[in-house]
Amino acid sequence: MRPRDTLTPEQTHDLEAIDRALAGESVEFELRDLEELVLDIRATAPEMSPAFAARLERDVSDGFPTPRESPARVRRPGRRWLLLPAVGSLAAVLVALVVALGSDTTSPPRSLGSAPAERDQAVPTEPDSSGDTAAAPADESASSGGGAGEPAPNAAVAPAPVPRSTTSRKSGSSAGDLTDSPRHVERGATIALETPLDEFDRTTDAVNTTVARFDGIVASSQIGASDTAGGEATFDLRIPTDKLDRALAALSKLGHVTERSQSLDDITGSFQSAQERLTDARAERRGLLRALERATTQGQIDSLKARLRGVGSQISALKGQLSSLRRRADLATVSLTVRGTGERSDDGGGTGWTPGDAAGDALRVLEVLAGVLLIGLAILVPAGLLAGAVALGVRLGRRRRREGALDPS
Amino acid sequence: MATPLNTSTGSFDALYRDSARDLYAYVRTLLGDDASAEDVTALAFERAYRRREGFDARRGSQRGWLFAIARNAALDELRRRKRAAALHGELPDEGAPAPEEEADLAVRRTTVRAALAGLGPRDRELVALKFHGGLSNAELAAVLGTSESNAGTRVHRAVAKLREACNAPA
Repeated sequence: MRPRDTLTPEQTHDLEAIDRALAGESVEFELRDLEELVLDIRATAPEMSPAFAARLERDVSDGFPTPRESPARVRRPGRRWLLLPAVGSLAAVLVALVVALGSDTTSPPRSLGSAPAERDQAVPTEPDSSGDTAAAPADESASSGGGAGEPAPNAAVAPAPVPRSTTSRKSGSSAGDLTDSPRHVERGATIALETPLDEFDRTTDAVNTTVARFDGIVASSQIGASDTAGGEATFDLRIPTDKLDRALAALSKLGHVTERSQSLDDITGSFQSAQERLTDARAERRGLLRALERATTQGQIDSLKARLRGVGSQISALKGQLSSLRRRADLATVSLTVRGTGERSDDGGGTGWTPGDAAGDALRVLEVLAGVLLIGLAILVPAGLLAGAVALGVRLGRRRRREGALDPS
Repeated sequence: MATPLNTSTGSFDALYRDSARDLYAYVRTLLGDDASAEDVTALAFERAYRRREGFDARRGSQRGWLFAIARNAALDELRRRKRAAALHGELPDEGAPAPEEEADLAVRRTTVRAALAGLGPRDRELVALKFHGGLSNAELAAVLGTSESNAGTRVHRAVAKLREACNAPA
């Protein structure tokens, strides 16, 4: 049973007498037997041998030159548990950094004072032929309802897996005449971005930069903005189809994507039809030319020349049609809308990096740091508590095992 | 912040000179033989010397800290050598009283030794810490990892048993 902790006055009196006796002071007469007991116990204390006393004296004065135990054993095992929270802290900070960096790459970009062109350069560029999942191709992110690259809350689901090039070979097609013939696909996309009004001008500039970076053209654009009503810009873009995915990913990073959709139109049939008609027209022209060589009368000659003119016009028209189809397959049409929301602040809106931008950026940096700190604490506090509980348990266990040596076996 | 023992000013040396005899007496009483007591005493001083930088005066006295190190080493020694049973045996004969000792004194100390030997291991350790080690109740509490009043209660109880054993008719 656990002894009671509260000392009675009598016990306190006796203990004080013991302490006085141990200090060589006299005690009350009625406690003389206690004093004698104390002195007798002290007198029975074992004495160290002179040889050991001399050896110990030498060790102490020499600073224990010959260790009795390994350095690892000499270290304070009782304090080793303090390393656990430290390790936990380090792990927490690392996890928090990873989380922060990861979220930074997936969130819509925000200017930290860099020019739009610099921001564009931050978009990962990868070879055209490779799968650019890291750059979050628009078709993949849209078809999956928003991938790792860019959130698209209102994005329409892409119609089908989109071929990466304008012409591709159909495999396993049931259409006999199209088997092994090049496939021609016309692609289109619609994107709507939202950006703070202060960054509206910068974003519209960045659209031009981004389009140029992917060898595209701005077919037409319309930009309007006011300090109170917000701004809206519409762009009709032509992007090389083989660069469309990466271009869409880059454009999506210029603001908050509110809408995104893609369209796909297989124009292989039209293309082949025009091509066949062109071949036929050319064959007809060759036949007419041969017939013209053999014509003997002026009437035959005039008739054949008239038919040749008609076939020539048909050939020109078909060539133009083919060229148009080829252009539609090679250049995707992108309709981009940028909306500036909110009100323009007094210090914002310019293309330069103003003190207001600096203050905003500083605030955002502090927000990120606070987030990192919060995540770190969220991990560190439970980890520290757990480590403390484990350390306490280990210490108590060790103490109990040691104390067990004093228990009767 | 820890307040390390400063050997350059002789703190550790002073601690050694102040405690060596008492520490040995305590360890010797706990372990029951000279060889082990010498090993553990030397080991305790060595550990204290090497860990002197970690001593924290806020957590207790130097003497209590040293005795706690010695106690851990002694208990480890007991566990390692499975000598717990030896604690229940008779204390080794410390030798007959010197001839010059008076007869009644010799009888009394023999009685005390017998009474000590009859105590349980925990009570005997308490008596050794208190009377051989000369620890205050606060130091005792720090060594045992308990409260000061609990340490005092346990000491009082052990002394009561000892007095009872000494006063019992032979």
